[in-house]
Amino acid sequence: MSKMWSFCGTLAFAAAVAVTAQAQDMRAPEGPIEFTVGAGAGGSPDVIMRTIAQIMNEEGIVENPIVIQNRSGAGHSNAYNHVLGLPGDENTLLTMASPVFTTPIVQGTPSVVDQVTPIAGFIQSELMLLTTPDSPWGSLTDMVTAATAEPGRVRVAGGASGGNDHIATGLIETAAGITLTYIPHESGGAARATFLGGNVELHFATLAEGMEQIAAGTAKPLAILSEVRRSEEALANVPTAKEQGVDVVYTQFWGVAGPAGLDPAVAAWWADKFRKATETQTWQDGLKANMQLGQFYALDEAGAYFKAEQETFRTVLTKIGLAK
Amino acid sequence: MFDLLFQGFAIALQPENLLFIFLGVVIGQVVGALPGLGPAAGMALLLPLTFGLEPVTAIMMLAGIMYGGQYGGTLTSVLINVPGEASGVMTALDGHAMARQGRAGAALAIAAIGSFLAGISAVAAVALIAPPLADFGLNFNAPEYFLLAALGIIATGSLGGSPVRSLIAGVMGLMIALIGVDPLTGAPRLSFDMPVLFEGIDFIPVAIGVFGIAEVLSSMERIASVQPIKTRLKDMWLTKADWVTCRLSIVRGGIIGLFVGIMPGAGASVASLLAYLSERKFSKAPEKFGHGAIDGVAAAEAANNSAAHGGLIPMLSLGIPGSASSAVLLAALILHGIRPGPMLMTQEAPLVWGLIASMFIGNIILLVLNLPLAPLFAAILRVPYVYLAPGILAVSLVGAYAATLDMGEVWKCILFGVLGWLMMKFDIPRAPLVLALVLASLMETSLRQSLLLSFGSPMIFVERPISAVLLVAVLIALFLPLIGALRRRRRA
Repeated sequence: MSKMWSFCGTLAFAAAVAVTAQAQDMRAPEGPIEFTVGAGAGGSPDVIMRTIAQIMNEEGIVENPIVIQNRSGAGHSNAYNHVLGLPGDENTLLTMASPVFTTPIVQGTPSVVDQVTPIAGFIQSELMLLTTPDSPWGSLTDMVTAATAEPGRVRVAGGASGGNDHIATGLIETAAGITLTYIPHESGGAARATFLGGNVELHFATLAEGMEQIAAGTAKPLAILSEVRRSEEALANVPTAKEQGVDVVYTQFWGVAGPAGLDPAVAAWWADKFRKATETQTWQDGLKANMQLGQFYALDEAGAYFKAEQETFRTVLTKIGLAK
Repeated sequence: MFDLLFQGFAIALQPENLLFIFLGVVIGQVVGALPGLGPAAGMALLLPLTFGLEPVTAIMMLAGIMYGGQYGGTLTSVLINVPGEASGVMTALDGHAMARQGRAGAALAIAAIGSFLAGISAVAAVALIAPPLADFGLNFNAPEYFLLAALGIIATGSLGGSPVRSLIAGVMGLMIALIGVDPLTGAPRLSFDMPVLFEGIDFIPVAIGVFGIAEVLSSMERIASVQPIKTRLKDMWLTKADWVTCRLSIVRGGIIGLFVGIMPGAGASVASLLAYLSERKFSKAPEKFGHGAIDGVAAAEAANNSAAHGGLIPMLSLGIPGSASSAVLLAALILHGIRPGPMLMTQEAPLVWGLIASMFIGNIILLVLNLPLAPLFAAILRVPYVYLAPGILAVSLVGAYAATLDMGEVWKCILFGVLGWLMMKFDIPRAPLVLALVLASLMETSLRQSLLLSFGSPMIFVERPISAVLLVAVLIALFLPLIGALRRRRRA
């Protein structure tokens, strides 16, 4: 890589001249780009990164060929350790998904978010709490009453220990003063099978997954964990947890960061490209179809956003006894 | 229903789609044959190339890689005793023994036929009764998985000549499986703060090392005396007697595979193990198992292919992937703007039925490819071992690296190669180690999940009807050999 530096330097000059009109100095990286993903092919972060990479390349937003590299396993630590080991590298971006934040907390290693160069947070997914269709509960309040009467007797089928739905479970436990039994699985799909098989009372789903199940009559919604209700007809009558006296707002989010010491001009260039990609019709259509949110945070904003989320994770993981 | 299937065929038989089905199954065959790089990894690699295609074409091709991989995996299992995937371990056991007897061609042929018949029947089940089967699959959960895995682990005790030696290997597999992150709490376990152990020890480096590399090491000790395996042309093909032996094995293997396939938590490896074990019970010559029983190969191959197809049932009708490769297929649907879930089969009927039709066609292509080529592939073994050995080593180590892009895996491979070589020296069977490693995490996770579900009560294994039946089977498997031994002793 070091051999390429001088070469990059010359090109950087040319690129810098080309973008002097921009408010912030921007410089394009040279050569092929790797988006490092800590999940296997098919996981949410993988699908998100493949989609945005496809838009960037196909719509000519980024000329450099982009490769998605799945460095899965060990709670995304294979992926983030790979990127942390490439300080200053301009051709590798790390996908920021919740395990990148939670794994260091659980393992007691230095936090990743403090070591990387934040670029963008660009997609969020709201969560919905479901119960079985034959459940006597009609609302979150009913569930809280039942769980108060019999602490620990209400079971949640969850994706993974320390995962998003574990965090959401912890937040609800704290806000409602109840104890739930969280049952971790090998994957979100395995957890869904446990829920659909009628083995547990509760399950968290993204809005799009939840909608499918509600439409098929295999689940009943109790609450969405958002600030306000959704406007779609099918979800307009699903109240927020807040409305039902459980003060929890929690959304999954994904973003990207560069290695430590990434040239601010390259970081700014990437932030600009991610913004442009998320402004395309294709991306917006995808957000709509999957009922996801497209709040965009760039550079320092993204850094502040990541740090705030890191605090939430640390608080909840400490509370549920997973933090080391 | 049949209207829909005809529409599906109309879609799948369009020239462009046919071409991509063909490409998919050929690529699947190749990636399946490379140890380490299984169908799931191959599908993920090719996923970006499908973006320009129609969704239905893309899905047909990717599915082709998935089941084509099951056919390809047979090649390395039989020829060089390296199962590229967990579901190939049982095939390697008898398939490679057959190869050593000069009957590699017959092993490959029966594997292709078994895979084809079971695959086609599983596709028919997907077409006709996917939703009820998917609902039935949901009756299986943690308690049932625990007992299935326990049944498998107990049965590994019978995979070698001596139960004690098999159990030693099995326990070694269980011990290796405990290294790494605790599957339920995420806490590091037995990793001694070494990053290379943090993730635990995966099946791939162990299988490649213990089977492939150990085989090479052991042959090198007597490289001067190792003769190329003599194969006569007439031994290359199936005999009528082979077919008679295998007919019902394929049926039984296919049925077991289908049922295990529809359970979202178990997979093709559990399917092939259970099929192999039940086949030994049915066989007229159970003593041949492990020494080149062709019905063992037929049952295991029928089971893993029908499980791979059966895994599409929970995927299509519930949106739950049953295996790593169906998870990639699910991701492909999402990337092509199709939302999988319980409504998929009604909302995207042309796509689903096109896929089903394409699997009929793809399986026929694979049979046509594999049958005539079986003797050709088998002829590789006529190459003198001196030239074959470096090739096996290179393919094995590259495969281990390619799966993870991590040199640590290559070192693990070599280490397990030495372990496997030692096991061969001390006459400890190697299959129980690998199978126990595969089953351990299913067994551990599902036991702990069961006890969480029941708030700590072991009664959950008795209260659920399917689980109760399985519990009886486990108890029989545990105690019947003991009772038998006691009886023999009393009689003697």
